[in-house]
Amino acid sequence: MFRTFLSLRYLRARKTNWIGMAGILVAVGALVLILSIMAGFLEESRRTLRGNLADLVIQPSFQSSVLQENGDWIPMQTDVERMLEIIREDPGVAAATPQLQWYGIFAPDGGETALEKPMQDAIQLIELVGIDVEGEGEATDFRESLETEYGKKPGLGKFCNVGRPASVEDPFRNLTERRDVVRSRTRPKVPILVGEQLAYLWGLRRGQEVSLVTATYDEGSSQLNETAANARFQVVGSFRSKDNETDSRRIYIDRRALADFLQRDRLWSAVLVKLNDYKRDKDAVRARLWSKLHAEGFLSAPGIRTNEFRTWEDFRAMLLAAIQNEKALMGIMLSLVLVVAGFTVFALLSMMVTEKRRDIGILCALGATPRGVLALFLMIGLWEAVIGSAFGALVGVLGAYNIDAIERKLSSTFGFQIFNRDIYLFDYIPAEVSFSGVAWIVSGAVFSTLLFAAIPAWRASRLDPVEALRHE
Amino acid sequence: MSDLAPIQPSPDAVLSCTGVRRSFPVGDRRLAILHGINLELCAGERLALMGTSGAGKTTLLNILGLLDRPTEGSVTVAGMDAWALSARRRANLRNEKIGFVFQFYHLLPELSALENAVLPAMIKLSRGAYRSGRSAFMDRATDMLTRFGLADRLGHRPSQLSGGEQQRIAIARALLLDPPILIADEPTGNLDRATGERVLEILLDEQSERGVALMLVTHDERLAKRCERVLYMEDGLIQADSSAPMPT
Ligand SMILES: Nc1ncnc2c1ncn2[C@@H]1O[C@H](COP(=O)(O)OP(=O)(O)O)[C@@H](O)[C@H]1O
Ligand SMILES: [Mg+2]
Repeated sequence: MFRTFLSLRYLRARKTNWIGMAGILVAVGALVLILSIMAGFLEESRRTLRGNLADLVIQPSFQSSVLQENGDWIPMQTDVERMLEIIREDPGVAAATPQLQWYGIFAPDGGETALEKPMQDAIQLIELVGIDVEGEGEATDFRESLETEYGKKPGLGKFCNVGRPASVEDPFRNLTERRDVVRSRTRPKVPILVGEQLAYLWGLRRGQEVSLVTATYDEGSSQLNETAANARFQVVGSFRSKDNETDSRRIYIDRRALADFLQRDRLWSAVLVKLNDYKRDKDAVRARLWSKLHAEGFLSAPGIRTNEFRTWEDFRAMLLAAIQNEKALMGIMLSLVLVVAGFTVFALLSMMVTEKRRDIGILCALGATPRGVLALFLMIGLWEAVIGSAFGALVGVLGAYNIDAIERKLSSTFGFQIFNRDIYLFDYIPAEVSFSGVAWIVSGAVFSTLLFAAIPAWRASRLDPVEALRHE
Repeated sequence: MSDLAPIQPSPDAVLSCTGVRRSFPVGDRRLAILHGINLELCAGERLALMGTSGAGKTTLLNILGLLDRPTEGSVTVAGMDAWALSARRRANLRNEKIGFVFQFYHLLPELSALENAVLPAMIKLSRGAYRSGRSAFMDRATDMLTRFGLADRLGHRPSQLSGGEQQRIAIARALLLDPPILIADEPTGNLDRATGERVLEILLDEQSERGVALMLVTHDERLAKRCERVLYMEDGLIQADSSAPMPT
């Protein structure tokens, strides 16, 4: 009984203990705050990394025949409508849409290719993505990438005054109604949506005509055609996805128009799938779809984890692993703060044991066991740890939830921008409080403090009471 | 010489020691302080221990109070060989069987007078037991302190109290659990004469009233005369024993 009573009394009576508690408070608070902000940044980066990747991408490597489980060879299927049917039947699938992807080179002024007028960053392959506008809107965040630019967020114009990139009121309509809207007197012009960075790089404006050059693929002979396809396109708008890469090299075209341009029969190269609940279902859906599609001859590879069938995380595996790793490293490095806080408690308790020698002797004389004395000092450490880390966690969580407002306040008080919102993709300080993380930090703080408190507490329990009582 | 064969403790001895020697390491030698002490303290007995300063009285008392382990010899408290017990059982013996009064009071500075007085009960009892027994002990301590003239000092800290007052609290603390043995090492050594006398009256009154065996170190001949037995100690040995107990 005396342990609880005395430990609380000592804690209250001796102000130095508040220093230890404050140390733990600051350490835990800072840890919670920093890790929350880190988690926010990482989550935000993850989102950025994901960009406009679809949940699942099925990209068959087209071959003439497919080896079945039972050893039979069946002809490879390419009927995308049938494939979509199979995919959409799956209960975990929310939407699916075909894409046709190819590459080209930009030649903006009257048909000249970039090759004729080489500029360093202009000789760059452009991703030509043929889409079904409606389907694309359902299966990816294509729609959002159009809306962000014209809606909430400031576009590139914020950074450079060269002029806003092409803009468009309704890119959906413009892209699909090409035959009525954009057909010119001389040649039909195919409408395109250009990535915002790309548009800026080439100084494209809405309504401007551009030429694209590409080498096409002859499906019969498996050879690249030497003759370049060359066609006129008209910029009807630009988009901004969450991925810079995409914005600087992608052009959306109507899928059929792209196939026309490439003069090929197969109208698709990949199918993008959106799931109802990606986190929960990804593996199950992938397994189901793979076995069905493989059985019908749509996929040729004899297993799931191949280039034919990828989740968005497969595309970004390395970077995602790096993010995870960063998080772990950060946590480990920051937990050194807890060691420092524990050390403060160690120093304070050691001092206290020295000062309280006489008290310890008295307690022994009155019948306290060495173990009781040990527990008494451990308990002082425990209170400091529990109270300090509880308040620290509170401060950290509140701070994390309000970090943006706090930063704005601090910035305006001190007159300089602490967090420069211009250089990030997000214009607020992201913070994600993970309560399991907070629990880990708090228990880590308590554990570390107890570990450090154990040393002086043990020393106290070993004190010779006679020696402790000998001198006044 | 009294350091011959160990004697069997008599059955009504509450505290006894046989063949107790104590030496301390000083540099690379050992300095012998006690050279073989045999002693018995009977229930309710009042025993004075006298001797020159440095004779080893305090050392002996620490051994009898189980605070210090004899280099040789044994100490028996309430019929139990104290150093054959576990540290826990020995601590319990100290808690329940022995009350200490020190020359320098030795109160805990962070506790009030009343809290200091009930400290042995807090140490004795587990949390649950203390909670239920708390008010009984509080009452007991309050009664005692009131009797000692400290009724209006219950909430004061030791630093706010005079030496005499502190020593009275220490006496109340020593008697709280009604131990059969009371050990007092120069309890008035640090007090002026009048105050010391007042404290001694209280101590002796309580002792005879409760029938506690008292072992008292003193330099005061007059006080020694009020004791049933007086031992004289010199150079780590008991030189004289006013043996035959006074008739009661
Ligand atoms: N821990 C120790 N180490 C060395 N010498 C000690 C120790 N404790 C006591 N002594 C010595 O033992 C002798 C007896 O001391 P003490 O028992 O306090 O005497 P008394 O109480 O009779 O005045 C003294 O000379 C003292 O210096
Ligand atoms: Mg002494």
